[in-house]
Order: sequence, then structure tokens, then C-alpha cells
Amino acid sequence: MSTDSAAGNRAASDEGVDDPILEIDDANVTYNDGETYVLNDASVSIDRREILGIVGESGSGKSMFASALLDAVPDPGVLSGQIRYHRNDGSTVDVLELSDEELRQFRWEEVSMVFQGAMSSFNPTMKIRTHFTETLKTHDRSVSEGIDFARGLLENLYLEPDRVLDSYPHELSGGMQQRALIALSMVLNPEVLVMDEPTAALDLLMQRSILQLLDDLQSMYDLTIVFITHDLPLVASLADRMAIIYAFQFAEIGPRDSIIGDSAHPYTRKLLNATPNIDAPLVEMQPIDGEGPAPVNVPSGCRFHPRCSLATEKCRAEDPQLDVFDEFDTDHRAACHHWQEAREEIPLNAGKASDWYDASDMADRTTNTQQSKTDGQPLLSLTNVDVHFTKEQGLLERFSGDPDTVRAVDDVSLDIQEQDLVCLLGESGCGKTTLGKTMIGLQRPTGGSVEYRGQDIWTADGSDSTISHDEIRSALQIIHQDPGSALNPNRRIVDILSEPLRHTHPNASTNECRSRIYSLLERVGMTPPEDFIDRYPHQLSGGEQQRVVLARALLMNPNAILADEAISAVDVSLRIEIMDLMLELQSEFDTSFLFISHDLSNARYFAEHGDGRIAVMYLGEIVEIGSAERLIHDPRHPYTEVLRWATPNLDLDAMEADDPPIREIDVPDPVDPPSGCRFHTRCPVAREVCRKEQPELQEINDGDGKAACFREHPDHEYWDSEPVEGAQRRNEPPN
Amino acid sequence: MATEADSTDDIDWRSEASAVEMSRRERLREFGRRWVYEPAVIAWADMRTRIGLLILSVYGLMALVEVFGLWRNPGTNQADPLLKPFETMQFPLGTTRSGVDLLALIIDSTPFMLLMVLAGGVWATGIAVLVGTISGYKGGTVDNAITSISDFFMAIPGLPLVIVLAVALKPENPIFLGVILTINYWAGLGRSIRSQVLSIRESSYIEAARTMGTSTPRIILKDVLPNIMPYVMVNFVLAARYTIFAAVGLYFLGVLPYTGQNWGVTLNYGYEKGGLLTMEAFHWLLVPIVAIVGLTFGLILVSQGLDRVFNPQVRTRLTGESESIEEENETTTTGMM
Repeated sequence: MSTDSAAGNRAASDEGVDDPILEIDDANVTYNDGETYVLNDASVSIDRREILGIVGESGSGKSMFASALLDAVPDPGVLSGQIRYHRNDGSTVDVLELSDEELRQFRWEEVSMVFQGAMSSFNPTMKIRTHFTETLKTHDRSVSEGIDFARGLLENLYLEPDRVLDSYPHELSGGMQQRALIALSMVLNPEVLVMDEPTAALDLLMQRSILQLLDDLQSMYDLTIVFITHDLPLVASLADRMAIIYAFQFAEIGPRDSIIGDSAHPYTRKLLNATPNIDAPLVEMQPIDGEGPAPVNVPSGCRFHPRCSLATEKCRAEDPQLDVFDEFDTDHRAACHHWQEAREEIPLNAGKASDWYDASDMADRTTNTQQSKTDGQPLLSLTNVDVHFTKEQGLLERFSGDPDTVRAVDDVSLDIQEQDLVCLLGESGCGKTTLGKTMIGLQRPTGGSVEYRGQDIWTADGSDSTISHDEIRSALQIIHQDPGSALNPNRRIVDILSEPLRHTHPNASTNECRSRIYSLLERVGMTPPEDFIDRYPHQLSGGEQQRVVLARALLMNPNAILADEAISAVDVSLRIEIMDLMLELQSEFDTSFLFISHDLSNARYFAEHGDGRIAVMYLGEIVEIGSAERLIHDPRHPYTEVLRWATPNLDLDAMEADDPPIREIDVPDPVDPPSGCRFHTRCPVAREVCRKEQPELQEINDGDGKAACFREHPDHEYWDSEPVEGAQRRNEPPN
Repeated sequence: MATEADSTDDIDWRSEASAVEMSRRERLREFGRRWVYEPAVIAWADMRTRIGLLILSVYGLMALVEVFGLWRNPGTNQADPLLKPFETMQFPLGTTRSGVDLLALIIDSTPFMLLMVLAGGVWATGIAVLVGTISGYKGGTVDNAITSISDFFMAIPGLPLVIVLAVALKPENPIFLGVILTINYWAGLGRSIRSQVLSIRESSYIEAARTMGTSTPRIILKDVLPNIMPYVMVNFVLAARYTIFAAVGLYFLGVLPYTGQNWGVTLNYGYEKGGLLTMEAFHWLLVPIVAIVGLTFGLILVSQGLDRVFNPQVRTRLTGESESIEEENETTTTGMM
């Protein structure tokens, strides 16, 4: 915008940065001949060897900032401004003025980038080793030296160098691929690593483990890291400084502790309060109303004012500058006219301790509620359910030996009552989605039985069935992870929502159907409904799409809904709102909910509000089940403790993450699961007996729920057994 | 209000919005807007479709002229032999060696050609869509059976088969002829449609439809088909083009029986009477070629433009429904994600 403000910003941005490696001045990215800004007036300095965390919702321009750092803005975007890079030897270059050849060297050798989704960054027809050698050759480096360096990197990332280098990308798990990609981006020993949502496709435990490794790498190789994410608590544990980006502008920049503990911008404060988190009291979590603007209609004045409760006339008229607002705190900049009010009016939740937890009290409470629920026949009952997949075999393999079987779900028994709420929690690949789909009859189990009100789902319509297949089918519904792909792009909302009514009310007139659709749309918060009814799915925002999906499931009058990671595709600021909506509708429509998540804080929010249980899954088995309170405050299975560790947390004192309570980062191959207790290969307290014997899922003492661990039994031979290699000899049996 | 037992009776289904009730008239208007007005606006907005439609309407006009007998029928010695095009405006495209009006020849066989092209295209794509969607969506044994059959048809060499059939059956009806010419065209097309369906059936919205208990034909019709429509349209035109070329080729070779002269036969006579060698008879060859190429070109232009009709994003943008929703910045959002 005006040059004066840019000068002001520059002066401000230098504060708190002694030895900048990158200085970004007034960077703008525009489309449509300068009409649409997707990055506006970005001015920030990045200190040598710091970790800068950049947080923003999807579509806020944060990836554009990453591309701008490398002058790699996709066409037809136009990047203007100044990006100065200071080399180690003291010389300075302006990135935007480099020639194509210089730019090619600058990228990867000085500043390299790690993208989201490793699968699409690797060429599937080339071995990992070839990716490394190609990169080295292109930049005229010695291949043998480079590969040696890469081996070191891979080892530091807890990968076996030989195995990984000789694999094709698809042979590695998602987490391994992402780590191999990080090694690849560092093979030329760059100074700066720009990471754009590098862990977004992974589950929490892997994310946290990778972050831990990044922290080590950063000090080992003297790196400067720019870490871009939508996940505020995740990056908070890693970053030295943080920047919050909202609607294509920086809203606030400052040291991590000031941003988390004493932020000045209302957006940051609200975002912190909207983030599900396992320590804050549940009632305090508040969603932010509205959604972030699209680049074509950015509000005038302060961009946050339509969603801000403190907005005044001044906010509507005048765009606040990102500037130091407090002379005693010159590192901290925020773009708000009313930062003082913000601090007073919007108290932060984090740091407030949760209600004091009393195990016995909880046990009483939940046994009571469980008791009341267990009366009568369960809605869904799983008995010793197995789901095994046989891997496709090549021609030669068919002649040799048994086919490989993936035990996605292994011998699981679980009862779901009417109006119950169960969260399945676990890492990706643990079989939680398969189990969920088996429960609602979308996946046929290979062993055991699934019963709906006493009727086996897969023999319904048989001679002795009491409930017809059609009735079961409409009683069990699903909400998918990505609302964008769960709605047919070629049908209007009214057509999509008429579909369930065709099944539930086949004789209803068009007008009656319409009135039902209208009232339900109003109920899920899409008002006025006539504005939405004739739209196509692409004309709705992610949150609205998820509401339509929810409405579609509810129109079937289901008795149970499977929500498969149903909020992970929704913006952070809207998650609480969608979860609240689901919970309200659950009681209104008398349904049961099966909620699948890899995030303990989301599962906790659900389970605690809906008074339900959390079932922790590991490699196809349920290892612990119980109320959210008990699982968080008194985890019995070591794996639950690991998940608890992996859940990011906004408490500044607890933030300096300790080492993970786990011995191996990667999940064992489900084709060949470990003998005995399946968790023994990663368990920090595993003993010899865990290798041989498999613990049963049993009621735990003084607490609700069940756990499958020998440590629950004070007189088990476990306590006399030798610890396995690498495991700690920790504590003695409970008395 | 509901006639059936309703487990959620305690919920007020009535909406306060006044616009809920729709009269029959409004519904009709809505139907017209959605199925006639909107596709027309989108098709017309595209330069290619506009030109394509204009070209095709010329052929339509020629067919009408023939049907209502507004132009003379071709006959020998109507005029002087080998008049050049535009030499006299009475015979604008010139005449053949035996003094037949070339324009009359072209117009005379236009309805026949159009019917044949339509029959060929509809038959080939219709069977291919049916076979491709069912085998792709159902999978398993059904898929195996259908793929085996279409493999068999793909293995038969197409042109010899058509020649044998043409000689044996002597098709003179244009619709029957169109079907014969594309008798095994569906096999390859069905295969590629199947592979498209394979990826669509894994999508979440198909699973959601299955979870609701929607029947297979309805899922294929409502959820699968609209998403492969652009592909089907392009292939319809390719099949139609194949039909024209095959028919003209076989008429040229003299394999197909004919009573009157049509484009292919005219081409053959023009060639035999030295159209390639002398400038005198060159227009005799050129006129049927232009007629054939023009029809194909028109079809291709229309099909290229038509795939936009099935794209909901283009649809909403062009009919002015998108207002402020992220439409105009498609490029920017893809860049940012």
C-alpha cells in the first residue's frame, strides 16, 4: 500500500532480530492485474538459526508467503516487494532480482522447501536413492559424499539408510516418506528450510515425533526453519517466534511465549480459545463466528472486523498497521487498534487448570451413567469381529506360500448403546476406519458378528430375521472426512438432500420434502435456507459443506452415525462449532455417534460433552477404553500415554516437550504384527513376558473402562520379568 | 403432517420461511430454467459451440429443404455438364459430367447422412455407457463377464467385419446402416468409461449414497453418469465422426448398396471421372469433401464446448449465480492450497 507504512514496518521488523538471514519487505502477491491480493504488505525479518512458526487458516495466504520466499509464486501471480537474503559470509542478495540460473542455485542450496504430501513430491517410478543422486548431480555436487551425508541425515531421522534408499516411495509409510523428504531437502545442506504444512497429512503422534526430530536437526545442522501450518498448538511447541496470518496479512508477530501467553490481536486470542485442547476447561472453548474472507472480497479497514467482537467504527474505516504497540515489548508486533481491550476482554483459556480430577468420583459417575445405558439391548453389538484383507499377489507369489494378510481389525468386541457416544482413537493404519465401517455395515467382517438390536446385519432378510436389511441400512449412516468429496459436485443442495427423503418418506409431496429440508437447514445453521438450496457444493465453504453432509445423514432418521474424522478437514476456528452442532443434534435426534479421530483433544471434547467413551486402538485391537477424563488424567495403557504426549498443548510450562515415551517412531507392519502384546516393540516399559503373552482387555481397578496391559495386575509375572532391550525399568506394581 | 410413523415427531419440521411452498407453475419454470435456459446460455457463451451450432444448423436446414422438397431433385441433363461452382447462380455448386446439380446431390442425401450419423453415435456411446458403468460400478463377476465379452469384440478387426456384414446384410435403412458401421465400436469405449467409473465409485459421495440404501441404477444415473458426461459427449462425437468416415469410405469402395447418389458415391464418381487429374472436374470431388469435413468439424466444435455445460462451476458462473463466492479467483485458490 503506501510507502510510508512500509518504511515504518521495516523499522519495526528489525526489532528483536539481531542477525537476520532473510528480510522480507512489503511483499505483495497479486492476481488479476493487481486487483486481488493474496499476500498483502508482508514485512518480517527471519533471524539466523531461529524457528519461525507461521499460523493461518486455510486460504489465508500462508502458502503464498512460503512460495514468495523462494520467488516461486505460481503463475499468473505477480510478486513485488523486496526479499533480501544474507549469506553466511556477509554478502546480501535480493531474491527477486536473481537470474533464472542463480535462482535455481539459490533454491535448494541456500533455501529449500518441504511441501505437504510427500507422496506427490516423490516420483513413484524412481527409488529414493535416485532422488538423492539426481538432486546432487543437478547441483554439481559429489554424489558419493552427498549420499554419505544423506545417510547421516536419514539416521538422525530414525530411518534405516540402506533400506530407505533402496525403496520405492510407495514401499514406505506416510511418516517415513515425509522424513525421507525432509532428508532430501537437506541433502545440499541449506541454510534455511521452508516447510509448508509438512506434517498435515500425518497423524498426531507422527507429527509430534517429526517435530521433535526437527528440533534436533535444527541445532545439529544450524538451520533456520520457517514452519507454516494451520495447527497453532503443534507449532507452538517448536517455534522460537510465531507469526499469525489472517486474510493475506500478518496479524501478529512475536516471540512464542508472548503470542501464546499474552497475545494482543483479538484473532490470535480467539484462535487460541477455539483450539480444542486437553487441559483447558471445556466450557471455555469458544468458536470464532464467521469464516475467513476470500481474496476477492476482503473487508475494508481491519480485515478481522466482521468477526471481531471489539470492532468499532475505526476498525471498519482504518486498516491497522502491524507495529510495535508496547514500548516495553518491542519484539512483539500486532495489527490492532484495540489491543489493550483485546487483552482485557478476551481472557485466554490455556493455563487455567482443568477441574480437579478425582478417580473414584469419576468412576462412580461414569459407572452410573454406563449403568443406566447398559439397561436393555445394545443398539450395535460387535462380538469377536475380525476384518482381514488379503493382499493382491503377483503371478509368481501365487505359487509360493500363503498370501499376505493384513489384520485391519483383530478380535474386537464392543457394545454401543442407544444414544451412546464412542470415539475411536488411534494412529493412521490402526484399523479405526475399518472398524467403524464394519460397525455400520459398510464392510463385511471376515470373522465374528455385528448385531443391530440383536439382528446380525449380514444375515438380515434371511428366514429368521426380525429386522429387514433396508431398515438397518437406513438406521446406520456415515459422515465422511472430506465434505468436499462427500457431496456430488454435479447436484444441487436440494437434490442432495431430497435423496434421503426418498427413502424415509417415499410418499411425501415435493412441498413437504422442501419444508423438511428448509427446517433442517435452518437447524444446522444455514440461514436463510433459500439462499443455499439451489447452490452446488462448490459454492459452499468447507464448514457449510460439512453441515449439508450432517443434514443429509440426519434426514435418514438414523440410530447411529459414523463420523470418520469428520472435522479434520474443517478450519480450526470452526471445529468447535461443528462439534457442538453434532452434539446438540445427537440429543435432539436420539442417535448414537461413533466418532473417529487421531486427535485426543477432539475426541475428548466429543466424549466429555456427549458423556461417552474413548476407545484407543492399536494395530487392529482396542487396547484401552474409558471416559475421556479418566483416559487423560489416568491413562493405564502405555500407548494411551503416548497419545496423550502427542497431543499438543497450550500450557507454556508444559510446552518444552520432553522425549516421546516411545521406543520406535514407526508402527510395525500390520502384515506381520509383533507377537504377544502388539505394542511391545514400541512400549517404553515392555518386559520379556510382553513378547510372548498377549494381554486381555479387562476391567481396570478403581476407574471406569478397560485396558489391555499386564501392568494392571499387581501379581502378574510381568513384574518379575526382565525389561526388553531399550525399555526402562520403571516403577513397581501398584499396591 | 407425515403419514408414516416418524421417530422424530418432536421436531418441528415446518420452516418459517415463506418460500417453501412451490406452485406447479413455479416448478415448471424452475425445470425450464435448469434444463433449457442454463445449458443454452452456457453453450452460447462459448465461441466454439456457437460456430459449431451454426455449422450444424446449416446441415439441419439442408435436411429440412430436402424433406419439404424446396430444392430440385438431382437428375441427369438438368444443366450443362461440368459447370463450375458459382458460374451460374441457378446451379451454385456446379454440375457433374452428366449435368447433375451438385447442390441437389448433396441436399438429397443430407437427411440420410444425418440419420446414419446419429444412429451410429447413439448406438455406440449408448451401449458403451451402459456396459462401462455397470461393469465399472458393479465389479466382481459382472465386471469379469462384461470385460471378457468386450475383449472378444475388441479382438475382432473392425473394418473387415463391417465389410462382411455390409455385403451380407445389404443395409439400406440409414439407422440400420449406422448401427452396422459401429457394430463393435462400443467395446473400446466401454472399456475406457469403465476405468473412469472405477475411480468415481471409490469417492465418498457414492459411499454415502450406498449407505442411504440408494439402488444401483439410481446411483449410476444420478451420481456416476453426470460426472462422466463430458467424456461421453466427446466420445459421442468421435463415434459419429467414425460413422461418417466409415460410411463414406465404404461407399467410395463400392461395398455398400445404394439407390440414389450420396456424398460417398458422389466422391467415388468424381474420382473415377478424373476429378483428381483435371481442374475441370475438381469441384466434383471438392463439394462432397467439404460437406463431410464441415459436418465433422461442426460436431467436434459443439462437443468441445458442451463439456462446459456439465461443469457446475462454469454453469454457476455464467448464469450469474456465483455472486461473491470464490469463483473468479480459481487460479489464486489453487495456487494457495
